[in-house]
Amino acid sequence: MVSHVAFWVLAVVAVLAGAAVFIVNSMARASYALAVSFIGVGLQVLLLQQNYVGVVTILMMVMEMAVMAVYMIMFMGMNPALMPMSMVHDKRHALAVSIGVFVLLAAGTLIVPWPTRRGTPPADVTMTLGEELMGPKMLVMAAVGVVMAATIVAGVVLAAHQTRYDRFGDDLRRRPADDPQPGGVGR
Amino acid sequence: MSDPSVTVVPAFWALGAAGLLGLLASVAAIVDGLLSARAAGAAAGTGWSRPAGEVARLMWQRRRATVAADTLLWRTGGAGLLVMALMIVTVVPLGAWTLFDLDVGVVWFNAMDVLAWAFVWLTGWGANSAHALVGGYRFLAYGLAYELPLMFALVAPAVAASSLNVGTIAAAQQGLWFVTWMPLAFLVFCMGVLAIAMWGPFSAAVAPDVAGGVSAELSGVDRLLFLGGRYALLAAGAAFAVPMFLGGGAGPLLPAWLWVLVKTLALLAALVWLRRRLPVVRPDLFMEIGWVVLLPAVLLQDLLVAGIALARS
Amino acid sequence: MGLTSMLHRLAARHAHVLLVETPGHWLTRVAAEHHLLDRGWRLAQSPADADVLAVCGTPGVELATVADRLWQQMPGPRVRIGIESPEQVRHALDIAEADLRDITRQQTDSRVRRGGRGDQTRPDGHPTGGHGPHGDHAKGGDEHAGHAGHAGVAHGDMDMAPAGIPLANRGEDRDGLELDVLHVRLGPVLAYWPAGLVLRCTLSGDVIVDAQASLTDPSHRTPEHDSASRSGRLFAARRCDNAASLLALAGAHDAASGARQVRDILLDPDGAADAPARLARLTRTVRRSWLLRWSLRRLGSLSRSDLVNRDLPDTLEGDAHDRLLGMLDRASRAVAEESSHRATGQPTVPVEAVAELVRGWDLATARLIVASLDLDAAAPAREVSRV
Repeated sequence: MVSHVAFWVLAVVAVLAGAAVFIVNSMARASYALAVSFIGVGLQVLLLQQNYVGVVTILMMVMEMAVMAVYMIMFMGMNPALMPMSMVHDKRHALAVSIGVFVLLAAGTLIVPWPTRRGTPPADVTMTLGEELMGPKMLVMAAVGVVMAATIVAGVVLAAHQTRYDRFGDDLRRRPADDPQPGGVGR
Repeated sequence: MSDPSVTVVPAFWALGAAGLLGLLASVAAIVDGLLSARAAGAAAGTGWSRPAGEVARLMWQRRRATVAADTLLWRTGGAGLLVMALMIVTVVPLGAWTLFDLDVGVVWFNAMDVLAWAFVWLTGWGANSAHALVGGYRFLAYGLAYELPLMFALVAPAVAASSLNVGTIAAAQQGLWFVTWMPLAFLVFCMGVLAIAMWGPFSAAVAPDVAGGVSAELSGVDRLLFLGGRYALLAAGAAFAVPMFLGGGAGPLLPAWLWVLVKTLALLAALVWLRRRLPVVRPDLFMEIGWVVLLPAVLLQDLLVAGIALARS
Repeated sequence: MGLTSMLHRLAARHAHVLLVETPGHWLTRVAAEHHLLDRGWRLAQSPADADVLAVCGTPGVELATVADRLWQQMPGPRVRIGIESPEQVRHALDIAEADLRDITRQQTDSRVRRGGRGDQTRPDGHPTGGHGPHGDHAKGGDEHAGHAGHAGVAHGDMDMAPAGIPLANRGEDRDGLELDVLHVRLGPVLAYWPAGLVLRCTLSGDVIVDAQASLTDPSHRTPEHDSASRSGRLFAARRCDNAASLLALAGAHDAASGARQVRDILLDPDGAADAPARLARLTRTVRRSWLLRWSLRRLGSLSRSDLVNRDLPDTLEGDAHDRLLGMLDRASRAVAEESSHRATGQPTVPVEAVAELVRGWDLATARLIVASLDLDAAAPAREVSRV
């Protein structure tokens, strides 16, 4: 009973916080409204006894919002917390798309014949879920992870102004490197 | 799934846990007060009463507002640290009792410690002041450097005990404490705790070189909650290290719960003492250390632990 | 009411003090620092943290305005004291404690502040203390104090000025990204900051892309209280004080306390004779700390040719860590030789050079670099006509 009430309360909180993302007029508030929404969803997943998935959702989303807020504010460029700004753009199309997606998903949940449970849930749901999702494709998943990390590093290297010639001199012999601010390892 | 040796106590014991955490935080504050008073050459009596004096002072002090502050986010951030600390101790078993026997307790700790990213930055942001904001960003710079090593440091005990449950991990080191054969993971974990509490070598976010940083504009009860949150986080982090690395309640003569408290206090006192001895590790230097030194080192530690765990099973 | 008054007494016994040092009143500030730490009080890092505002010496117009602004920013209960000479310190602090405990006085102060709302609108162009670009104010206090903090922002499109604070300009940062620039004034009142120095910084992120240095009240100069008695010990005490500032900024609390204690012993006329020994021990500790070396090395490096080009004294050679060791060494030598030729004073550093040295560094590192310059509070003043 308590968990039913908690589930519904969390659902309402998650939806309201999600809506708040588009209503509030500051980037910091929008980011953290989204974080609250995700925390609500994470706790709901906890109530569904998918403990690992639930806790990891909270972990990843809070961290992600912290990083997102940094980038947004850094590149949008506004005085901290001062200039009220709208969080919605291109309202008509956005509204059409979001209503369309909502109708599609809602219809899906209502129309699809949900299977009834056969057998009992396994002892470790998380492990079973993981094996179901990526059991035979584990190698592919591991490789994708490495490729993604390499992409991030390559992106940063390509975006950086400073090349190794700036740092180490034309003959690459200068030590320590000429950085605007020295790093901790002293390379 | 969870260890049968751990009993879940009724929810109202959460009040007891909160009280215990408060007690530990007060002890930490008194130790710090004594050490600071001794170093400053002040009368020893002022060291003992310093935490009480600070509380009285800040309760009496007026709350302040700054121009165009985002008060909601500011106050949320300031009070959030205390909440984080309370959430962390829910999964720490006190001997045979625990409040929340979560099968993924280690991940729970991780999720809670990540909340510091949000709360500290929000405290810096909300005040709408340059020094506070710089402090908030300095914390995020630390975060980017310490969080991954901390995560992989938490992996080591979990791999060794083949469980993410805190009680099971404590039970798995009855013979040999994990700290003895994964010292690096333990050190990185302690570093993470210091960073989350913005303490000592990792206090750049509240350091004097940015005029108090995140806490520059806090006064009255807001400052009290923020300061109390930092001490509570230090205490909660030390408490979490006990089942993870220091054998939980294992020890001769004394009952298990008392051993947990003794070990927590010892680690807490060491962390508090460290503040006066070590200079601040500047975030711009630590970023490189975190990624180039600590992360590979912790990964090697994990590899070693995984190898030993495989060989033993 | 017994409990309340007990709590008030407890609170007053642990007051935090914001010190304002008027250039030329170094001895007064140092005495105040010594006595307040001695009674278990602490130094405040910002006006939000302070219960007592202690103005050491008689400030000029500019510094007095800053002190007024800081006074407005203090949350209260609050006490303001002026200390004219080292001898007055003890008495002034006693008065401050009594006033803090005086509940009726504090209640009156709070009522007056609330009543004064709105009457205190100030035109833009006033200086602020070192704290925050937006010149914050205590709740119920001066609602308009915030405007003044933006004196340095170089545009005035008030349509884009929520809460009266104009939005930021944009500019290129050192990596070539176009970011907001913010104007922040460092000093004249900031913990561990040379007295009277003001740095107007243009920040992109927390990196100082441009800075201008100046001194408060250049015409209002009181000669150093004790210029007659310049001795080796005094010279050494100043070096120790500057080393304590740098150590405190670097977060080495124990070492900073140690340096402060040596300073106080050196200034005490019948101070203990073990000052040289303690100084040597401190130097050894600092020299041995590899973490301190790691954190200060390569900061604000100056080669011999840099020094010649910029007309700087050759004591500044090397990086911040070299200069820290240099301060302690010179202190040891001055103590050993008592009153020697070196004790006649610290070579002067032109204020302009200070601004040049912090350009390109982040805000916190810039603080370390400024502290490493081992400035005598009065030293930049003599150069002001030349700059």
